[in-house]
Amino acid sequence: MDDSFDELEVELKALPLRRPSSDLIRRVGHDLTEARRPYQTATNLNSFKWLGWRTLALASVVALVAGLSLFRTGHPSLPAADKAAIVPVPVTNRPAQLQPVAASNVLYDLKDEGPVTVEGAAPSRRVRYRYVDTYTWKSPHRNASLKWSVPRDEIRIVPASLN
Amino acid sequence: MEETHEDGTWNDWLAAHGPRLLLCARQWTRSLSDAEDVVQEAFVRFWRHQRQLPGDPQALLITSVRRAALDLARRESRRVVREDRAAGEVGESAPFFEPAQGDEGDRRRELERALQVLPAEQREVLVLKIWSELTFDEIARTLGISPNTAASRYRYAMAALRKELKPVCRHG
Repeated sequence: MDDSFDELEVELKALPLRRPSSDLIRRVGHDLTEARRPYQTATNLNSFKWLGWRTLALASVVALVAGLSLFRTGHPSLPAADKAAIVPVPVTNRPAQLQPVAASNVLYDLKDEGPVTVEGAAPSRRVRYRYVDTYTWKSPHRNASLKWSVPRDEIRIVPASLN
Repeated sequence: MEETHEDGTWNDWLAAHGPRLLLCARQWTRSLSDAEDVVQEAFVRFWRHQRQLPGDPQALLITSVRRAALDLARRESRRVVREDRAAGEVGESAPFFEPAQGDEGDRRRELERALQVLPAEQREVLVLKIWSELTFDEIARTLGISPNTAASRYRYAMAALRKELKPVCRHG
């Protein structure tokens, strides 16, 4: 490098640079505080929105299990000899007791999480969709049914409009 | 373990790197407030997602600042053109350096004016070299130019500055 620049370089380096304003420091602090607070996802146990669904789903399963066990214990017990005579049916030959009959999903929340930068792509925004998926099984032989609801988050990166 | 602002770590980082980042951001934005927005976005992104990455964090931060500035420029381009047309002026000239009084203040303003009149592509190389202390290879990667181009722009910038400041140097 040209030696004659040395003096000028030293002088330039000695200049005190403008410091970030207190407002910038406050905004960065705010953003970082927000980053530490976990977003209330559908799978987050702390999400109060899911308390009802979880409780309902758990109660349904418990009720179903309790009902089935009551139904089985309600039959008169067989003598020991008869029990031994029962040949267990291979699982593959058993008729399906519960068969899926319905599946649905409901979008209950949509949140725009702001712009994101994707390498080599157009400016985009990240959008979080929150669904509840519900699956239903029914037994063709009995009137039993099982409904299972599960929360699901879906994140989509969508191109942002510059208009 | 994530270090948080309660223990002052991010604050220390911002205090150490903030002035340089702000100066870099000023080269790629139209105003001080835009530069602060860009530094905010880049620093938060870095602190959340990139500070564990290997390599020189300073170079990473500067690249992040540049990308944020380019994104902002793209977003704002249409609005800015409209506003410029209405206002009849371009940009804002908040100082790069902390103000000073007396002779020192005069000299500082002189240097600042000389920097302001440099072509933007020379000034950004100068800023990255002098204040961000990047090598020509790092500058080339950041700006997407060759190291030789970075070095020659730096030499042109220094020569132009020296020419501009010569009278002051002789009498100063």
